[in-house]
Amino acid sequence: MKPSREADQSQPRSAQREMTPWRMLLGLLGEQRKPLWLAVGIGVLWAAAKVSIPRLIRNAIDRSIKGEESLLKWSLIIGSIGVLAGFLTAWRRWIAFRESRITETKLRGRLFNHILKLDVSYHDHAQTGQLMSRSSSDLQQVHAFVVMLPLTASNLFQVVAITVLLLSSDPLLAVVALAPLPFINFAAKRFSSRIHPAVLAVQQRQAALATVVEESISGVRVVKGFGAEAVQSAKLTREANQIQMVSLDAARIRSTFIPAIDLLPSLGLIAVLGLGGHRVLQGQMTIGQLVEFNSSVMLLVWPMRNIGMTLATAQRASVALQRVNQVLSTQSIVNDPPTPVQLPTAGVLGEVSFNNIRFGYDPDRPVLDGFDITVPAGSSIAIVGATGSGKSTIARLLLRFYDVQNGGIVLDGCDLRDLRLNDLRHAVGMVFEDTLLFHDSVAANIAFADVHAAMELIESAARLAGAEEFIRELPHGYDTILGERGYSLSGGQRQRIAIARAILANPRVLILDDATSAVDPAKEHEIREAMNTVMRGRTTVVIAHRPGTIALADMVLFLDQGHIAARGTHDELIRSSAGYRDVLASWRDRDQEAVDVHDDPSADHDSNADDDPGARNPNSDAAQMSPVAGD
Amino acid sequence: MWAANAIADEDKLDRDTARRVLRRSWHFAHPYRRTIQIALALVTLWTATSLAGPVIVKIGIDEGLTKHHTRSLNGAVAAYVIVTILAYLIARLQFIFLNRAGEGFLRDLRVRVFDHLQRQSLAYFDREKTGVLVARMTADIESMAELVQWGLLQFVSAGLLIAMSLVLLFVLSWELTLLALVVFPIIVVASFRFQRDSNRAYLTVRERIGHTLSAMQEGISGVRVIQAFAREGEQSRRFRETNQSLFESHMHSLKVSVWYFGLIEFCGILATASMVGVGGWLVHRGSVSLGIVTAFVLLLGSLFEPVQQLSQLYNTVQSSGASLQKLYAILDTVPDVHEAPRAVALPLVGALEVTAVAFEYLPGRPVVSGVSLNIAIGERLALVGPTGVGKSTLAKLMARLYDPTEGTVSFAGIDLRQATMRSLRDRIVVVPQEGFLFSGTIRDNLRIAKPAATDQDIAQALTDIGVLDQFLAFPEGLDTDVRERGSRLSAGERQLVALARAALVDPAVLVLDEATSNLDPGTEAEVEHALEALMSKRTVIVVAHRLSTVRRADRIAVIDQGGLTELGTHDELVAMDGGYAALSAAWERNQRSVG
Repeated sequence: MKPSREADQSQPRSAQREMTPWRMLLGLLGEQRKPLWLAVGIGVLWAAAKVSIPRLIRNAIDRSIKGEESLLKWSLIIGSIGVLAGFLTAWRRWIAFRESRITETKLRGRLFNHILKLDVSYHDHAQTGQLMSRSSSDLQQVHAFVVMLPLTASNLFQVVAITVLLLSSDPLLAVVALAPLPFINFAAKRFSSRIHPAVLAVQQRQAALATVVEESISGVRVVKGFGAEAVQSAKLTREANQIQMVSLDAARIRSTFIPAIDLLPSLGLIAVLGLGGHRVLQGQMTIGQLVEFNSSVMLLVWPMRNIGMTLATAQRASVALQRVNQVLSTQSIVNDPPTPVQLPTAGVLGEVSFNNIRFGYDPDRPVLDGFDITVPAGSSIAIVGATGSGKSTIARLLLRFYDVQNGGIVLDGCDLRDLRLNDLRHAVGMVFEDTLLFHDSVAANIAFADVHAAMELIESAARLAGAEEFIRELPHGYDTILGERGYSLSGGQRQRIAIARAILANPRVLILDDATSAVDPAKEHEIREAMNTVMRGRTTVVIAHRPGTIALADMVLFLDQGHIAARGTHDELIRSSAGYRDVLASWRDRDQEAVDVHDDPSADHDSNADDDPGARNPNSDAAQMSPVAGD
Repeated sequence: MWAANAIADEDKLDRDTARRVLRRSWHFAHPYRRTIQIALALVTLWTATSLAGPVIVKIGIDEGLTKHHTRSLNGAVAAYVIVTILAYLIARLQFIFLNRAGEGFLRDLRVRVFDHLQRQSLAYFDREKTGVLVARMTADIESMAELVQWGLLQFVSAGLLIAMSLVLLFVLSWELTLLALVVFPIIVVASFRFQRDSNRAYLTVRERIGHTLSAMQEGISGVRVIQAFAREGEQSRRFRETNQSLFESHMHSLKVSVWYFGLIEFCGILATASMVGVGGWLVHRGSVSLGIVTAFVLLLGSLFEPVQQLSQLYNTVQSSGASLQKLYAILDTVPDVHEAPRAVALPLVGALEVTAVAFEYLPGRPVVSGVSLNIAIGERLALVGPTGVGKSTLAKLMARLYDPTEGTVSFAGIDLRQATMRSLRDRIVVVPQEGFLFSGTIRDNLRIAKPAATDQDIAQALTDIGVLDQFLAFPEGLDTDVRERGSRLSAGERQLVALARAALVDPAVLVLDEATSNLDPGTEAEVEHALEALMSKRTVIVVAHRLSTVRRADRIAVIDQGGLTELGTHDELVAMDGGYAALSAAWERNQRSVG
């Protein structure tokens, strides 16, 4: 049984400057303060225009009844206020949305840059889905909040202005008319906070139902094979009933609040009609004043609702910001040194020494301990071992994905930790076991290390990697778009692209991490030639398990549980080491079985290979590297 | 965002399809008809109460204030209070009734579509993409939730409100109604134009959100390669471009929508201004009362909002229609493997007989053809041959996971198509290559095979294949949660669960697709051991990939190009010196090549 991932202790990390989420947002918004203040100004102006309308209506009614002034004049004034208010509201909206999108875009860019710079051990423990939702749903919450800022400022102004106006006009009536309005605010806020968990509950149940559906369809062979349709249907019915139940809970919350929020203003109107009506009858108040009160109450409905919602939005944005900030303030533990040294550029280049290193993903459980070997410049070494023996770890340490806990790795006389990361990674090239192709053309995928590489260079790298032939047959040759949404290549083809990628990078040290594992053994010899060419005169570390590939190296290291169990040529080890023979034999069995599946054109139909949980498991990559997951 | 329910042009339904979808939905909602009728009655009542407010205000002003009649004023106030309370109660009820009907409808839809999917044969699942089917059951149904929760209610009440307030306005004053009708069309046209434009703009936004997310995803999952090649700078530069283009699409969407909000604001105030001007003038002339003008101002407010709501809902309704149509299409797919009307139960034991069987996924392209085989009780038959020639398909035909296009498969002389599904699945069990695990405990995963199994049955099954102790050693024993896709278990352990399921059913015939996954040598031996125990005393058909498995079989059937080319024991076939002899030699050569 695999130990749970949670048990892994991540290495200690110091947070950058300790910053509260709100301070981070303030810092960001500071850069946009001019347009934001402008939006607030526009909003206040708009609010002032709106607030003036009830007073204008009152004047129109009162003065025209007395016959003092023409109605047309008031009508025109109100009309022009309408033009102004329409213009201002559009302008405010424009700025508010633009600025909030700018904030969102900036934050997303920062997140991406920061994530790329974080060291590999961070990524071993981080979940892609989590990081993805930082940059999507969390930023959406931030956006929703920033939009509200100018809006809320003008709403607040409107509420204050109307309250003051009404109070000065008739304090008692004002109090009575406005009394229900705070309840709108209260109800809106309470609604927002009560409906949120209900909506989350619905989403949770929906996710649970999605799991049942997904499993039933992916596992349809099991379901059909055992006639377990009824079992799955019962599960689904249970989930569907749950969704119905929690949805109706949410509906009940809505049914309590939404009509209340809609109808609360009516109470204000009733109060105005009742109390104000009596004052009119008693001659203490004009009809114009009554209408003014009436329309003022109506004007306040929306701002009151809105302020309530803003408070709820702010709460959610605060949580989202906190999560975003957590990522942004995590510091990489593999960094450039303060005073980097330069790699020598002349002489015999590419000597690598592992000086008695110790390393473990969990420092208490070393994967490599006392590993000590020097690879002379220009020579090659093959590392052979069972899964979990630490061979891939060596490759990763050489790229300084992790720092060793003891000892040191020296490249051409420089400790890796004294080099600029950029320099080191230009000097050391790697072909990964599972090739990742990016959503880009074949040419761009090969020219990964050098965006500006000439086409001839790309083509010659492809040729050396034995990839030229199949690239020519692709629909658009070197311009064919690859990646998740693009043309999909077979495992062997992908690996050849990866080899071409490393060839183009032209590093002084090359690591081939099981680079031919996905290539059909029958065709491996083609690649072997390519590898031979690439390795000539270049320091190369080959992690391999097929005898043909191992034989390419000058020396073979047999690794067992983090120690060098045996060293020598392939033939020597075959003769002298029983462990070496066992490991090669067990690998061969796997290859033999794997061949069947790899070449199976009907694999989609006839095999469940796609459903192998290991293959889908987002952590499988990390699990392979984890010292505890092997064996 | 308003246009969150953007719908692409190609997804829109034409009038006929829309009508069919509607009729069918009404039919589908049969159990909820009464609830829906009550809800509709409530909506109508509610609309009436919301129009009553302005009318009461009018009466209060005209009868009370203008005529100095205190009792009329008090009466109006009292009426207003009662109407408001009534309105609240009715609104609550209509909400609850509509939601009950709607959520019930969605629940039934979920259950019915899923049950129907479950009835489809394996061939259907080979054809359809998992992601699409999951989306039908989740995203498509969920997209209708919004409509059910408040959309439908708004849709109906907005329509009613517009119609009823227009009538009321006309009754109160035709002159003022004509005036209001000058502003009204502007709002209608603007609202629908706005919806159209912002729908289009939002489709672009949605597409670019997709691009940005996949660029982000690529960066995160490719971070090791990116760092290995020191590509962080270039990758960031590219992301900046993607991110920027998303920003620009947001700006475009904003640009096409921002004028609308200004216009609506303007129209609202314009209506007030014209009521003050024209209304006031009419009051002066004595042709309308002050109360009527006030009622108009209030009613116009209730006229504008529904128009905006209707235009917003337009997209939601359309996309729900499109979803419904796709779901009904699933319900219309007739399952091609189903139980015969007078099916019989299979006897406990029997020989398996394959007679002149052919099968094709696509018409005219047979995967299996003309295969005849008799497998005696307790015999072990290995199917071998190059990959992709139909071995697995043949094995699945023997368990009626597909129905043959031609020929028959029978057990104890009974055509599998005449057997009850229950007895068939109990008699013949297929163990898939990989151990697929469902979320839940180990026990849950075993019970998939036999829901009625007692704890003793389960323990017995595990004992039979010799893995009980190993499973009990888990922290929570058989109640250990295997987590999503069984990720808490190793590949070997997952396979043991798959074998234990078969042991629990205790079938007469076992169809095995031999595993080809990577198992480390230790687990390999355990699986091997359990498998051997499971196979003993049963008829076994095994799709073999390994020489050792083939060697242990009683007979070997060589399949090539969908047909049976050789049949016999290992020694017989080697003596024949045909395809099997060559294959066997290659296997042995491979085994010697190292060491």
